[in-house]
Amino acid sequence: MDPLTDFLLDAGAFATTLWAQIHAALFESVVQPAVFRLGMVTWLEGAFDATEIFMIGAFEIVVLAAVLGALEKWRPVETWEDRRPVRVDVAYTLLVRLGVLPLAIFFLLLPVVDGLDGWLRMQDFIPPKLEDAVPGLLAHPFASFLAYLVALDFVLYWLHRAQHGSGFWWALHAVHHSQREMTFWTDDRNHLLDMVITDLVLAIVALFIGVAPGQFVAIVAVTRAFESLSHANVRLAFGRVGERLLVSPRYHRVHHAIGTGHEGRAKGCNFAVLFPVWDHLFGTASPVREFPATGIRDQLEGRDYGDGFWRQQWLGLKRLAGRA
Amino acid sequence: MKTLGKTILLAALAWAASAHAVFAPGEKVIVLNSGDGSISIVDPVSRKEEKRVPVGKEPHHLMATPDNKELIVANASSNDLVFLDPKTGDILRRVPGISDPYQIAYSPDRKWFVSASNRLDRVDIYHGADFRLAKRLPTGKVPSHIAFSADSKLAFVTLQESNEFITIDLGKQEIVWTMPTGKQPAGIWMTPDDRHLLVGITGESHLEIYDWRARRMVKRILTGLGAHNFVARGDGRHVFLSNRMANTISMVDQQTLEVKETFPVPGGPDCMEITRDGKQLWTTSRWIRMVTVVDLETKKVLHQIPVGKSPHGLYFQSHAPRQ
Repeated sequence: MDPLTDFLLDAGAFATTLWAQIHAALFESVVQPAVFRLGMVTWLEGAFDATEIFMIGAFEIVVLAAVLGALEKWRPVETWEDRRPVRVDVAYTLLVRLGVLPLAIFFLLLPVVDGLDGWLRMQDFIPPKLEDAVPGLLAHPFASFLAYLVALDFVLYWLHRAQHGSGFWWALHAVHHSQREMTFWTDDRNHLLDMVITDLVLAIVALFIGVAPGQFVAIVAVTRAFESLSHANVRLAFGRVGERLLVSPRYHRVHHAIGTGHEGRAKGCNFAVLFPVWDHLFGTASPVREFPATGIRDQLEGRDYGDGFWRQQWLGLKRLAGRA
Repeated sequence: MKTLGKTILLAALAWAASAHAVFAPGEKVIVLNSGDGSISIVDPVSRKEEKRVPVGKEPHHLMATPDNKELIVANASSNDLVFLDPKTGDILRRVPGISDPYQIAYSPDRKWFVSASNRLDRVDIYHGADFRLAKRLPTGKVPSHIAFSADSKLAFVTLQESNEFITIDLGKQEIVWTMPTGKQPAGIWMTPDDRHLLVGITGESHLEIYDWRARRMVKRILTGLGAHNFVARGDGRHVFLSNRMANTISMVDQQTLEVKETFPVPGGPDCMEITRDGKQLWTTSRWIRMVTVVDLETKKVLHQIPVGKSPHGLYFQSHAPRQ
């Protein structure tokens, strides 16, 4: 092997060992004693995984804040004097990326998904997996990861279509779109019920296509990193070809644009999360190549979507009930 | 310095020679990395991971077939069994359609292959000869480890979240009685005289001993926090028990039903193997992604070998007898 390959392998091994040591130390000193005191030893492995999800989230936040924060300073689309709305999005991001909300949703949904899975087994039905159709994926974890990433991105595209197309769901999803100071922190600004519904659908899909828990964590981490980038307040596009391959900040900004992002036949455009190919295939790609202002049209007429976390959540429920 | 160098060299050679003596030429240690769906093939002489091979989703436990010709890996999330060459770890074949196999075990008469579905609260009973499903039994919460009576009539399965173990009549294929235990029972072990069941109480710090014929607990012994899993020392008398949260391993005398000694092993020790000469204990250290090798004479950690994520089951062919 050449010296560069040697160096990269050594660096990779060092990073992996360091990560594992931090993970073990955090788990053994803080999480494991708490799990034991709570009488939840059966969940030890789950808690070990949750500790790593917390670490991935913390690492992701630090890296994204450094890299995307620098990009936003370098070429901002907009600048604002009052950044209080952005700070609310920071709170959403911390709650989601550090695993607080996902953990709560996990415990809420687990009995539903496992109950469904268990019932199916009693009917002699074992949910399939992609590897059954493409056995070659078994020996190639990275190819398997990409296959599941594309499959789940396709599902996310249609979920996103439903979030805009259904009046019920839009009442909730509007929390995400009501941000007029959109930054890379905005990705996690969502109504809690919106998150529960989305995660339930994803969990059931994951069950029926055989996504392993470890793969799911990796897919979520990669997807979220790109979603943070696509929400960034930065004048950045990926070029004529690149824009067709991967969702850029410009591409996704059009999805959030006042007047174009939530209107028209499909109640919006540029729904893709990672791969714009879905928009091109299903006729929802926008020809707009600008960096428009973000928000919802009726905000210009004074409709209130709330300033703080709890108000935004409450108003979402009121819209759902047709009272806001 | 020259003397020191020679001493180190001699010690290394002595280790290599002793490792060679225990392990057959070309033999490998096979480790299941449950967190990244792979097996690590470890060379016991150089004490290095030689390769890491994808095997399936969430491989937790493995066992040799009754004829010792193959090794079965249970991939819980893949719903399949993968058969390996027990000496080299090479993948030989795959048996699909096994629902959520977490713990697996053959009845002593080889007639039944029992699989505990940890996530879905089931115990599945398959025909041992061809893995045809005979019965799917709904159970309490989180079925975990499995033991059998010597006559193969009964299977005992711990239910971690129901704080009990169940007894399955393999002939009738139904649960015939249930025994309450301490918090989160996991490992369950039949003593060689077929009289007592030892149960590791992972939610506490002890093991419980049951006279299963009388259906009563006869003793409770303190071992360490997170008492979890068993492996025989191979002398027909002693059994080791890993205490996952205490980071220790206890040796229990199955005749006197007492703990003989407890020694530290870092990183959340879980599944174990003992070398045929009884001199080394190999264990997966779940939390630190290592396999730890302990010298059973000095009770010192000899080596820690980096492997994959959340290593769980491990196996080598030159293991001590199973009782």
